[in-house]
Amino acid sequence: MPNLRKGKLFVCGFILMASFFTIGYRTVSLAKINKYDETTKVIKNNDTQSYIKKKVVRGDIFDRNKSLLATTIHISSLSINPQNILNRKETISKLKIIFPTINEAIILQKINTKKNHVNLLRIITPKEHIEVLKAGIEGIIVEQKNKRIYPSNSLASHILGNTDIDGKGTAGIEKSFEDKLLNGQDVTLSIHGGVQHILKTVLSEQISKFEAEGGSGIIMDANSGEIYALASLPDYNANNYRETSDIKLFNRATKGIYELGSTLKLITAAVAYESELVKETDLFDVSKPIKISSRTINDFHPLKLAINIPEIIVHSSNIGSAMIAEKIGPDIQLKFLKNLGFFDSVKLEIPEISKPQIITDKKRLSTMTISYGHGISITPVHLATATASIINGGFKSNPSLIKNSSKNNIKKRIFSENTSLKMRSIMRLVVSNKYGTGKKAEAAGYLVGGKTGTADKVKKSGGYFKNKNIVAFTGGFPINKPKFVITIMIDSPKNQKLYGRSTAGYVAAPVIKKIVTRIAPILGINPQNDEALVFTNQLLKYKIRGDEL
Amino acid sequence: MIRYPSFSFVFFIIFIAISLYQIKHFILKREVELAKINKNIMLTKSDINILRAELNYLKRPDRIEKLAIEKLNMRPVLPIDIWNIEDLVSTQTIINNGELL
Repeated sequence: MPNLRKGKLFVCGFILMASFFTIGYRTVSLAKINKYDETTKVIKNNDTQSYIKKKVVRGDIFDRNKSLLATTIHISSLSINPQNILNRKETISKLKIIFPTINEAIILQKINTKKNHVNLLRIITPKEHIEVLKAGIEGIIVEQKNKRIYPSNSLASHILGNTDIDGKGTAGIEKSFEDKLLNGQDVTLSIHGGVQHILKTVLSEQISKFEAEGGSGIIMDANSGEIYALASLPDYNANNYRETSDIKLFNRATKGIYELGSTLKLITAAVAYESELVKETDLFDVSKPIKISSRTINDFHPLKLAINIPEIIVHSSNIGSAMIAEKIGPDIQLKFLKNLGFFDSVKLEIPEISKPQIITDKKRLSTMTISYGHGISITPVHLATATASIINGGFKSNPSLIKNSSKNNIKKRIFSENTSLKMRSIMRLVVSNKYGTGKKAEAAGYLVGGKTGTADKVKKSGGYFKNKNIVAFTGGFPINKPKFVITIMIDSPKNQKLYGRSTAGYVAAPVIKKIVTRIAPILGINPQNDEALVFTNQLLKYKIRGDEL
Repeated sequence: MIRYPSFSFVFFIIFIAISLYQIKHFILKREVELAKINKNIMLTKSDINILRAELNYLKRPDRIEKLAIEKLNMRPVLPIDIWNIEDLVSTQTIINNGELL
């Protein structure tokens, strides 16, 4: 009997224990109230050190003023299960009432299938959604989907890029910041919507005026490297990415490589000053063309003079530039080109970038032609970056499309402050002096400085087009204390009979004037002040001679 | 001797079971309410997002520029509009003296 009692007690005890275990387990399981779906993540809140639940939707992209450039919205799409349709004709007629634009034949073809799911319309409005529900169509499925939209249409389409049908970034910032955006984090670009619009509009007008094939422009902070505007034309509406031709999708500013001609003389002059192999007073006889084997180096405006560096740049003398390069030598020339980043792709935050092509055989002819921008193909962003490095006091510029990027926190010096000041003075003379090739860039109220460049366009198959050229202008303003770099490139301008020559001075320089006049007030840059006048006065020491001598 | 505690245990278990059922029922109700609130938040957020996108679509620089010129007869700000009058006078003096290059 005692054994039986013990047995009973054991059984009761076991049942009680099991009950308590069950209750305990259930209490814990009840505590887990929320079941997360695939798109929900637990994110640590750094402020409160607590964990918050957040529905993860792809992050937004903003411009530097927090204007929305890309966002994700929820849309409804219409599908159907053909196997649930009782009467096909009735179904189609009901759909036709709600969606009058649909093609009945195509719908009939779509639903005449053994599939269980057929997509009918990619987007339907909330009103149409209600109408569909009211109509009670058999087999109809309304699915909620996310859609990436770009409210500014074509404003910065080449920078933003796009996403594919699954919402995965395929180009531009969308691709480069895929992980960040997928985690619901926003990206703030350095782009200024207003400045971007002005650059695009002014450039577009000039391209139309000269019936050019396209063009590109960059407006960059000379000191921080932040890009305020970057345009490549022709462009496209970012909302119609998949229907856009490859020509429009091509980013000429960051991916297109071009021989940008005499704009590279700025680098030749800066290297000459920096290496101290050429003095400012050294004279170069540019009265005769230089002949090397079968090649002859000529000037567009021949001078019967021996001229110094500032005069070579103001007159844009190829002969003078070639002579400087010969004196510098290929090793120093290539060393500086490398320091300026001309041997690599620009480290920009988009995947559409290209590596320059430079002849590095160190032959006499190559050294000479590179000095005036032939035999060296770079992207317009490379040119803007090099210009910034020359005029910002001599520090290497690292372009960035992200606001407050830390790229330029570490300053690497390429040119001395003295070289930079000399170059800024010469660049100002290119625009202000009567012999300057960039006179049409002069903007009332601002000291603009820069350099023009006109080069024959390179054929894809090799060699040069006889009647096509690339015109460019790169410069800065206010050039006495540079805040912004502007680089413009226009591909194959025509209409020279109507508007004069199709050289950079006629085609690209006026773009700079219009841009500076319009963006300076927006960016809060006041017109000339006392500092500007001091700078202008020190230009008097440069005596630029011309044809009259 | 053993019966009273046993009965107490049984009643205790029944009490806990009923309480748990009530808690579960209460929590399930709250779960439904929470799901509804979450759905409403999501829908409202979605609506806000669409409105934000629409607002940014409407304030596109090209549209604003067109409206400002056509409807309000406005024009872009020029440097002369923001030029400090003292700087303007001194610059003009230098230009007149022919010193400006």
